[in-house]
Amino acid sequence: MENEFELVEVLLGITGKDFTLIAASKAAMRGATILKASDDKTRQLNKHTLVAFSGEAGDTGMLLQFSEYIQANAQLYSMRNETDLSPTALAHYVRGELATSLRSRKPYNVNLLLGGVDPITHKPSLFWLDYLAALAPLPYAAHGYAQYYCLSILDKHHHPDMTLVQGIKVLEMCIDELKRRLPIDFKGMIVKVVTKDGIRDIEFNDDKIVKCP
Amino acid sequence: MAMFSQNPVLNGPNYSFAEVPQHAVDGLREHRFNPYTDNGGSTLAIAGADFAIIAGDTRLTAGYSINTRYAPKVFKIGGSTSSQDDANILLSVVGFAADGEALKERLDAVCKMYRYRHGKPMSVSACAKRLSTILYQKRFFPYYVHAILGGLDEDGTGAVYSYDPVGSYEREQCRAGGAAASLIMPFLDNQVNFKNQYIPGSGVGHELQERERVPLPRNEVEVLVKDAFDSAVERHIEVGDGLQMMIITKDGIEERLLPLKKD
Amino acid sequence: MDSLVARYSRPAAFQNETLSDDQYDDFQNDVSPSLSLKFAMPPVAQLTMSSYLHQPSAWLRAATDDRSNPNCPIKIAHGTTTLAFRFKDGIIVATDSRATAGNWIASQTVKKVIEINNCLLGTMAGGAADCQYWLAWLGMQCRLHELRHKRRISVAAASKILANLVYQYKGMGLSMGTMCAGVTPEEGPALYYIDSDGTRLAGNLFCVGSGQTFAYGVLDAEYRYDLSEEEALELGRRSILAATHRDAYSGGYINLYHVKEDGWVKHGFNDTNPIFWKTKLEKGEFTNVTSSLE
Repeated sequence: MENEFELVEVLLGITGKDFTLIAASKAAMRGATILKASDDKTRQLNKHTLVAFSGEAGDTGMLLQFSEYIQANAQLYSMRNETDLSPTALAHYVRGELATSLRSRKPYNVNLLLGGVDPITHKPSLFWLDYLAALAPLPYAAHGYAQYYCLSILDKHHHPDMTLVQGIKVLEMCIDELKRRLPIDFKGMIVKVVTKDGIRDIEFNDDKIVKCP
Repeated sequence: MAMFSQNPVLNGPNYSFAEVPQHAVDGLREHRFNPYTDNGGSTLAIAGADFAIIAGDTRLTAGYSINTRYAPKVFKIGGSTSSQDDANILLSVVGFAADGEALKERLDAVCKMYRYRHGKPMSVSACAKRLSTILYQKRFFPYYVHAILGGLDEDGTGAVYSYDPVGSYEREQCRAGGAAASLIMPFLDNQVNFKNQYIPGSGVGHELQERERVPLPRNEVEVLVKDAFDSAVERHIEVGDGLQMMIITKDGIEERLLPLKKD
Repeated sequence: MDSLVARYSRPAAFQNETLSDDQYDDFQNDVSPSLSLKFAMPPVAQLTMSSYLHQPSAWLRAATDDRSNPNCPIKIAHGTTTLAFRFKDGIIVATDSRATAGNWIASQTVKKVIEINNCLLGTMAGGAADCQYWLAWLGMQCRLHELRHKRRISVAAASKILANLVYQYKGMGLSMGTMCAGVTPEEGPALYYIDSDGTRLAGNLFCVGSGQTFAYGVLDAEYRYDLSEEEALELGRRSILAATHRDAYSGGYINLYHVKEDGWVKHGFNDTNPIFWKTKLEKGEFTNVTSSLE
C-alpha cells in the first residue's frame, strides 16, 4: 500500500514537560521529482492542536481534502460551542473519520501525527495515526523510514520532563541522523511547537551539513 | 505448507511429481520434479553432566497417511562394525526420511573411515564439525533434514549439537527438532534451562533472582523426554506410535523403546 | 600418474558401487585435503528452455527463500543486528544472538561473532550456515597465508579473499553480510564490510542486519573516534540493546568484543532482559515502556 516515496517523507513528534514538538520534512515529492522544497505538511486544528500529514504520493488533492476537512470541522466545533476540543478528543475524532474512510469506496491514504497541549490541564500529548485508523498516544513518534532511525535515538534520549531547549536538541539529533543515513534529500524540516499559549514556528537550521563517520 | 499436504482429495496427485503438467510460454508441456517430501515426526536431545539422551518418535508419515509405525530416527554412528556396538556418537535426523538416511549413511562412513585410518574413534567435536561440512557441501541442493548430534565430549560431559539443513551448528544443552519442535522447545527452555523460573520470595518485580541452572540427573531427564513426547502426541498429527530413546554414558549406548499413543 | 590412477580407479570390492563425486571426496580427501570446492547441484537442467524453474538458483530460491516463497520447505535462519566501529583504542564488535526462521525463534544463543584467529574477528548476518562455513574457510586461508609468507595476513587481504569468494557465487543464493575486524602493525585498526553481492568497503563504522537502522541511530548520535574504551564498550552494548528493543528479529544476548593491537578480548555474552530493565530504571531511558498497565 505504501510506496517508497511516501516513506521518505519525515514526520516527527516529541512531547516534553509543557510542550509538543512537531516536525515535518519540506520536500514535496511526486515520483522521483521534488516539486517544492518549502512545503508545509502541518495544519492547525485549533489554538492548541497541530497535525502533520503524509501520504498518497500521486494525489495531492486527497491529502489536501482530508486535512482541510478535518481542520474545517475542528474550527466549526470551536465556533459553534465557543470552546476548543482537546487534542485527545480531536485525535479520536480524526481516527473515527479515518475508520469511516477506510471502509468506503475510496479510502484516504493518509498517515498523521497529532500533537497538542490540553487547554485546561496544560498537559502535552501526541497521537500517532495511520491510514488503517490505528491510534496510539505516545511520548514520541515518527512515520515512514524516519521511524527506523529515530525511535532508537528517542528511546535513549527522551525524558518526559524535558524542557523545550532539550527537546529541540533531541529533535536535532534525530534530523542529523536522517541527513546522515537517508539516501534521499528531504530538503530540511519545518518545526513547530505547541504550548499552552498556542502554536509557534521554531527557527531550524537546515543548512547544517552532517557527514557519515 | 500446501507443497507437502499430499492428501489426494485435497491437493491433487499424491506422488512426488506434485505439480500438474504446466504449459510453458512456448507451448511445451513441462513436468516439475519435486525431490522433497516431509515425513513428519519429531526429535529431542538433552545433555546432562555425564550423559546425553537423544530421542525420536517412530511414526513415518506422508501427508495424512501413516506409512509405518516403526521407522527409527535416532542412529548410532561410527562403530567399527555394522552392529554399531562400540559406537560413541548418536545422530538423529528428522524431515525428509530419504535425505536423513543418506546423511546418516554418509556420516557413518566418514566416521568408520576415520577409525580405520587413525585407529581410534572420532571425537564428538570433530564429528560435529564434519557433519556441518557434509551438510554444507549440499548448500545448493540441501539435505531437507534437521539433524541433532549427541555424545560425550573430551571431559566426559554430555554434548548436544544441533544443525539447520545447510550446516550451521551450535552446541546446546537441549534441542527439539522436526514437526513438534515448536511444541516441545518452549517446554524444554523452561524445564532444562529454567527460563522464566525465579526463586520464590527472592524479591519483587525486577528484584527477583533467577533460578540457578544445574544439569539435570538422568532419571529426571528420561521422565522429561517421555512427558514432552506424550504432550506432542496429543497435539500433533505427525507424532506418535513409539518413542525411541538412546542414552549415551561412559559405559556405552543404551536403547529404550517406549509406547506412545497410536491414533 | 599414480595419484591419477588412484583417484579414478576403485578397489575390486567396490567395482560395482558408484559414489557421486562429492561423496568420493569423503574418503579420498581427508588424507590430503583438496582445496577445490565441490558442491552438489539440484537435478535441474542448467540452460534449457525459458522457464525460470530450470535455473538451479531459481530452484533453490523456491525451496529456501522464505521472503519470495513463504511456504518454502527449508527455512534458513535470518535476521540480526551486528555492529562494529573503529576508535582510538581499537575496534568494538557487538552483536545480538537471535536466529529466526520465519516467525519461529530458532535460537537465542547464537554466537554471531566468529573468531577467525586470535586477532581477526568476523560477524555473522544473513544465512547462518553461509557465514559459519565461509568464515571458517577464511580462517583456513589466513593460516595458509601465514605459513606461506611467514607473516600475518592483513585485514585488507583477508577481507578481499572473502569478497572474491562470494563474488564467484554471486546469484547462486548465498546470503551473508559480514564485517571483518582486526588490528595489524601495518594497518592499525582496520574494519571491512563484505556482503554476498560482492560489496567490500573499508570504513569506521558499520551496522548490518534487520536491526541496523536502530543501532545506527544510537551509535551515530554519540560516536567519536576518540571515545575512551569504557565509553566505546558501553555505546556498542547500548546500540545493540536499542536494536533488540525495536526490531523483533533481534534479541537474546549481547555479545561484545574489543579488538586490540595484541588480539581481541571478549567482554561477555549477556542476557538483554536484565540490561534493558537496568537501563530503564537506573538511567530513566525507554520512557515509552510503562512498568504498569494504566
